[in-house]
Amino acid sequence: MYAVVERGGKREVKTVLKGLDAPNGVAFSKGTLYVAERHRITRYDGIEDRLDNAPDAKVVIDNLDPTKQPGHFWKFLALGPDGKLYFNIGAPGNIVMPSYMEASIMRVHPSKGILENVALGVRNSVGFDWHPQTKQLWFTEHGRDWLGDDLPSDELNVVKRKGEHFGYPFCHQGDTLDPEYGKNRSCSEFTPPVLNLGAHVAPIGMRFYTGKMFPAEYRNNIFIARRGSWNRTIKQGYDVFRVRLNEEGKVLKAEPFLTGFLVDEKADPPMWGRPADVMVMRDGSLLVSDDHNGIIYRVSYGTK
Amino acid sequence: MSGSRGKGGAAAILAAALSFFPACAVPAADDIPRKAAACVVCHGPGGNSTDPATPSLAAQPAQFISMQLYLFREGNRKDAQMTPIASDLSNAEMNELAAYFSRQKPAAPSHKTAPGNAAAGRRLAEQYHCVQCHGPALLGLQHIPRLAGQRFAYLKTQLRGFKAGTRFDMDGNMTSAAQPLSDADIEVLADYLAGMK
Repeated sequence: MYAVVERGGKREVKTVLKGLDAPNGVAFSKGTLYVAERHRITRYDGIEDRLDNAPDAKVVIDNLDPTKQPGHFWKFLALGPDGKLYFNIGAPGNIVMPSYMEASIMRVHPSKGILENVALGVRNSVGFDWHPQTKQLWFTEHGRDWLGDDLPSDELNVVKRKGEHFGYPFCHQGDTLDPEYGKNRSCSEFTPPVLNLGAHVAPIGMRFYTGKMFPAEYRNNIFIARRGSWNRTIKQGYDVFRVRLNEEGKVLKAEPFLTGFLVDEKADPPMWGRPADVMVMRDGSLLVSDDHNGIIYRVSYGTK
Repeated sequence: MSGSRGKGGAAAILAAALSFFPACAVPAADDIPRKAAACVVCHGPGGNSTDPATPSLAAQPAQFISMQLYLFREGNRKDAQMTPIASDLSNAEMNELAAYFSRQKPAAPSHKTAPGNAAAGRRLAEQYHCVQCHGPALLGLQHIPRLAGQRFAYLKTQLRGFKAGTRFDMDGNMTSAAQPLSDADIEVLADYLAGMK
């Protein structure tokens, strides 16, 4: 775990924690750092004063990976408007019947450790955010592989009811039964996606735009980092995608916002960079991380 | 080719070793990353392995090589030889090694696929989705390895590891893919892949 600090105009990178197991999820609130490893979520209170001498981890919840699942064990972590910590537990493989706690989004109370299911049938979501007005949870989801170039689409979903089931492994993209697990099931049993984002585009980080730097029409739009397809003959994605919603949260329009990473859709590799996450800064600019190059870009609004 | 262009001992040794493999494209000695000398001890000159248990690196996608080195360094993937070797590599060195080995020409496979297994292996490769990720010719792409011409024993070890859930798997796809395979399927599949050009 790193902290980037500025001292006298000089930027310094400090290694705050070591020896963590796949610490993909990071959240920070009121002086406390929360870290999601593959098997547990921990908290470090008063971390800002202890960057050189971090306190011992206090466990919020443990035993999140009892089977040492072979895939999708990285956890995204975010604090919800209810003050609870939300995280994903992915399906343990491409297309498998998940256990009662896999293929889900869960939440845990940061001090009491009470664990609840928020969404089920979610193959793997490593990006979510809450609508600034409706406070509903929106999340991106990666669809299964091995059904060809165009099936199924990756998804953008919204949770309207706690514990809703989004279809995996039975139904994909809201209308396609799984050839194996979909037998004797119907897609109408499950909540369909709000938007299909394209087959194999790998949507990762997503955030609602809450800043004031971009024009008013960007307010409460969703920015999604589509890391890009590889499991497809003609590559697609490799952009930051913009989704516009109306007042009720219905999708009006969806289009690429930041492009140019994909150079040749038939080449290997087809790209020079891969957007992985987005974040709105206090000044209203948008940060975009590129995990292929290890770079964070800043997108600001201006006139030529 | 004489090694006289080598700047250091390691490069000269590598160039000399390459001279026994006239089929290999021999890059200018100063194109060879310094640390590649340690790799070729086991992975073979130009990354064409002659050891049954050690994988070939020649013509593997660069991103695949970088990523595996990274996973060894970070302790996700573990191996008695590779873990210590990767432990002090920087990201830049990993990328440099990956670019170098990805540029090398693969040697003609020494493995001969048993009669009948070429067709049977191809059927398995299609039935169990190998071709969907590794490509129709099994040449790999981006972070997905080339399987064509890979070492027979190494392929079997990896498939058995994925099947048993002991081999590190980033997204679970290989575990899903390998678990329905019988031991006999693994034998046929590896025999087919190892003999591919």
